[in-house]
Amino acid sequence: MTEHKIQVGDADVEFDQDGFMLEPGLWNDAVARAIGREEDIDEMSEDHWSIVNFIREYWKEHDLAPPVRLICQQCEVSVRQIYKLFTAGPARGACRVAGLPKPDGCV
Amino acid sequence: MSEKEQDESTAARVSDPAEVARMAREALRSAARGLAAYHFDACVRCGLCGESCHIYKTDPVPENLPGAKAAKVASFFRRYHTALGRIAPFLVGARALTPAALDELVEAAYGRCTACGRCGLNCSVGTDVGAIMRAGRNVLAAAGKVPPNLQAVVDNQLETGNQMAIPPEELRDTAAWISDDLRLEMGDDDAKVHVDEPGKRVVYLVNPREVKFFPLSLMAAAGVFHAAGERWTMSSRFYDVTNYGLYSGDDPAAAAITKQAVEEAERLGADEIVLSECGHGFRSFRWEGPNWLGEKYAVPMRSVLELLLEYVREGRIRVDPAKNPARVTLHDPCNLVRWGGIVEPQREILRRVTSDFVEMVPNREQNFCCGGGGGMLSMSEYGDRRVASGEVKAEQIRATGAKIVAAPCHNCADQLLDLNKKYRLGVEIKAVVELVYEALVL
Repeated sequence: MTEHKIQVGDADVEFDQDGFMLEPGLWNDAVARAIGREEDIDEMSEDHWSIVNFIREYWKEHDLAPPVRLICQQCEVSVRQIYKLFTAGPARGACRVAGLPKPDGCV
Repeated sequence: MSEKEQDESTAARVSDPAEVARMAREALRSAARGLAAYHFDACVRCGLCGESCHIYKTDPVPENLPGAKAAKVASFFRRYHTALGRIAPFLVGARALTPAALDELVEAAYGRCTACGRCGLNCSVGTDVGAIMRAGRNVLAAAGKVPPNLQAVVDNQLETGNQMAIPPEELRDTAAWISDDLRLEMGDDDAKVHVDEPGKRVVYLVNPREVKFFPLSLMAAAGVFHAAGERWTMSSRFYDVTNYGLYSGDDPAAAAITKQAVEEAERLGADEIVLSECGHGFRSFRWEGPNWLGEKYAVPMRSVLELLLEYVREGRIRVDPAKNPARVTLHDPCNLVRWGGIVEPQREILRRVTSDFVEMVPNREQNFCCGGGGGMLSMSEYGDRRVASGEVKAEQIRATGAKIVAAPCHNCADQLLDLNKKYRLGVEIKAVVELVYEALVL
């Protein structure tokens, strides 16, 4: 069984078996960087942060992951670019880095 | 959805244990009607099924043996539908549908089986193990024992018309947004994603994942349809090709989900419904739906792969395989291929639109499940097993040396993305229609 825990600073951050945070309230920039490294993002760029922060804010307001259309339009990235920034895609990639719970359905 | 269907699909959530047991027994009786009783009593315990199962191969413990999983369902059948089971259950290993027995079946039926059907195909006496496991899910759904994350997806479909609860205005906005990019890429002001246009030849159903998170396949389909001069549209209300009632085992819910999409296509006046690349969605709509509804459809339906093959064969689109020079292999989604019978169209298409297509081994109806089937992707509680069991598929892919895996199923695609990361495969995962779009000669 894989250990679903990473240490960030003094805190242990725990994940479900899909790699999504069990307690999204514990999310902060350092946690985002740590999950990002698991996604092969060595250094979070300005585009990464803009996407992650937008997803985070949208989720806080709507309790839902935003559709990729809004992410791309709000953060001014093209639809093809987002899969280069987050190779696992907007759901299992970007939403995970943003500390959201796993979205419903085929993702 | 009618009131009666609403009642049936939510009836399972009653709390009276006697009523739960009665409904579970009724579901078992109903499932046994559709499945020759022979299947419940045929296992000779040879154990050959083990090697055919990706879950057993990656974790060979007795409870992962397909025959052992099916035996749990069969023990209930024996208790209520055989003479000895009724009189002396302890003699024949017959078990009553008690709450504890049902809870035990949850793990076997949802957590240790993707109902991929490969074991049944390789069974020495021809037992349809996949169908037995779905009968087990029928029983659990009737007893209100569907894992909550899986049930949430069914509820989304029933309440909002699609599994991700995307509002109709978001579908229209996304269609407009993708259309802007499509016009730029094709250099053609008339290319677009058509929505809510009555009287078109084709109504196209897609996986909501394509709308919410992965629109490149929808954009590619729109581009190919445009190049072929197709008359097509989507509905902004009922466009969901998936049916999580198949996974959960809730046939009344599955019927209601089928009905809403079929009636919408009728309302729009379509000549045919075309189903996007989705394994369980194809199986549900094309084969299971009429049985769930108890009637034939008024509008015929087929897979987009069959339509794409028609386009390339008839010269309705021009393609150049040199535009896809990288090595491509093909994943066979269990519900599309082994259960659904769509085996050769995707192969002929890939031979025509890519220049280095290699098969993984084994393939076609003998393919291995990727590990993400049967609703596994929605149940995080089984995530570790899902990814571990995908090792079989990961090694198949690695052996081909391919750079691109064509996956004609969005559910499989997500699992393959996870496997790519976990097993360091270094591949891209694409829908077949994306490769067709990239090969277009305009």
